Amino acid sequence: MLKKLAALAATFAVLAATPAMAQNITAPPAPVPAGITVETIKVHSPSLEGNLEGNSTEREALVVLPPSYGKDKNKRYRVVYYLHGFAIDGRNFYNFMKVPDAVNNSARRGEEFIVVVPDTLTKLGGSMYSSSVTTGDFRAFVAKDLVAYVDSHYRTIAKREGRGLAGHSMGGYGTWVIGMTYPQTFNAIYAQNACCISPRTETEESAKKMASVSIEDGVKADFGMRAGLSSMVAWSPNPQNPPYFADFPYKDGKVDQLVIAKWAANSPYAMVASHVPALKSFRGIGSDAGDKDGLLHDDTMIHEELDRFGIANQWAVYDGDHVNRIGQRFDEVVLPFMAKHLDRK
Amino acid sequence: MRGSKRVTRRLAALAALALAAFAHIQPAAAQEKARVDLVKVHSPAIAGNLEGNPADRTVYVVTPPGYDQHPEKHYPVVYFLHGYFVEPKAYAELFDLGDALTGAAGAGNDVIFVMPDGFSKHRGSFYSNSPTTGNYEDFVAHDLVAWVDAHYRTLARRESRGLAGHSMGGYGAMRVGMKHPEVFSSLYVMSAGGGSVKLITREMAERAQADDGTVDLSAPIGGAQGDLAQLAAWSPDPQRPPNFINAGLLTDGTIDPVVQARMAANSLIGMLPQHIRELQQYEAIMLDVGDKDGLVTDSRAMSSELTRFGVVHKLEIYDGGHGDKVKDRLRSAVLPFFAVHLDR
Repeated sequence: MLKKLAALAATFAVLAATPAMAQNITAPPAPVPAGITVETIKVHSPSLEGNLEGNSTEREALVVLPPSYGKDKNKRYRVVYYLHGFAIDGRNFYNFMKVPDAVNNSARRGEEFIVVVPDTLTKLGGSMYSSSVTTGDFRAFVAKDLVAYVDSHYRTIAKREGRGLAGHSMGGYGTWVIGMTYPQTFNAIYAQNACCISPRTETEESAKKMASVSIEDGVKADFGMRAGLSSMVAWSPNPQNPPYFADFPYKDGKVDQLVIAKWAANSPYAMVASHVPALKSFRGIGSDAGDKDGLLHDDTMIHEELDRFGIANQWAVYDGDHVNRIGQRFDEVVLPFMAKHLDRK
Repeated sequence: MRGSKRVTRRLAALAALALAAFAHIQPAAAQEKARVDLVKVHSPAIAGNLEGNPADRTVYVVTPPGYDQHPEKHYPVVYFLHGYFVEPKAYAELFDLGDALTGAAGAGNDVIFVMPDGFSKHRGSFYSNSPTTGNYEDFVAHDLVAWVDAHYRTLARRESRGLAGHSMGGYGAMRVGMKHPEVFSSLYVMSAGGGSVKLITREMAERAQADDGTVDLSAPIGGAQGDLAQLAAWSPDPQRPPNFINAGLLTDGTIDPVVQARMAANSLIGMLPQHIRELQQYEAIMLDVGDKDGLVTDSRAMSSELTRFGVVHKLEIYDGGHGDKVKDRLRSAVLPFFAVHLDR
């Protein structure tokens, strides 16, 4: 796990505009092709109210509308919700992925979609798309609050058959766990290079190190440490243990196995066996990883686990690493996958 | 809500008229005592399981005194999940259900009481979703509730549905409750099992993997059968006949971490932190356990965890063991609890 995170951190460091610690990943503004409209919305999320980290309950989302949206006023559209990864916000992810180009290219292929990219950045760098009193219930934010807002403000195909969910890295993780817990909302799911598939474990040393990080240092720690701390606040929240409002995986000089158990309950790999009916209810499930991606092993495992349980799924290992081809694959693989598995009306 | 009440009332009035019209043909028999119906409910959620557990489930449905005489009346429903090792008949007899529900009605609390069959090949489903046992969680929350609402005069809304259970059924009540606050509005959890994390040891795994798939129903409680039941519910594996479980024994004698993770992921204490918002939607949550019950520690831990997360609930620790007081507590605690918390 640590090795994987280190590999991940290294990949992301290349991306970061400045090498400074705790810098979230940025990308230059995405070009917007003629005919594509991009709107920035703010969605109030009741599911995030009262979170103990003080994460905003007003979440920004970018809504990318296809070429005919402004002309054909009676047409309704399929919507793909697209979840970003760790240490990046929604807007920079949208920029990095060049989402408007992807929506435009898909329209040229005759497949028009609305793509919605929500922002779920939290105090420590990522919500893990989990339901935590400390970070907020980000699963319900995506599956309920955001979907309800988009359906009531845009001409969507406002039913399960018209909605897809996809994401990259932590957003791929979010795709798995939100898919398994809210299957009634989405018809098809696609996880790109998903992180955090196996149960997260700690050694005595790593747990001790984590427990020694003050909150002041925690918010500006390196990628790996912040990913660990974010997992902790998402998966072992404790309203009575400030300042993190979470339980460290370290107690009385040892790894706290109860905390590790709570984390295990959030591992998509461990969750599959208990969510077979939910997974079988999707019309399409897809996932992929690059052959040079540190997460290839984990992503292969969950694909094989689906096979083991007789759950139909599409899987690809492609020539690439954790980030170098993800925007291209959103355009060339993910949107065509959604075109196949979502209803046009 | 007011609108749906009006519709319900109108439908009830229509039903009453229809009944009055046919009254000369089939006079409604006076029902002075609660009546225990033994029915079969088909569950698509359980169909196709690998253990061959029947999809047509036995269900006890107890209607209160006066149910037949008041065809316009709709009732709240208490769903009750029985414990491990026995079929529901044992609980029906232990509880003397007709007597319990007649007594409750006498105190002004006339409810419909429903107890489904949660038995399985290894003597208990743990009310979980598993391809090996069948999807009992979905059976309870979807198939059963829909069937009861369609066949009995229920108040078909969450505010009038309660969920309770004892031992494995206490686990089931908490588990199904955490996931389905849209179906039920109050929970009564008696002497819950499955609260803490049960890790698989090498000995357990060896014993489970040596099992040839035949089941000795005369075997005493405890031992390999309980492990097999929990593994079938929580670590199913469709590729491993004859038991279709993965006990996790690796060639080096250690246990596959994913099997331990699954056990953790299905413990109530492991599941709880991700379901706080669901639990906060309940009007009332009650836990109880006997002071001489080995599960008292788990119930205390569950209660402190709920307290820590600000989930309003009560824990009562009473003088008793695991099963010796449950007949009395159904009358003195469980039914009165739902009398207060279910809407009429």
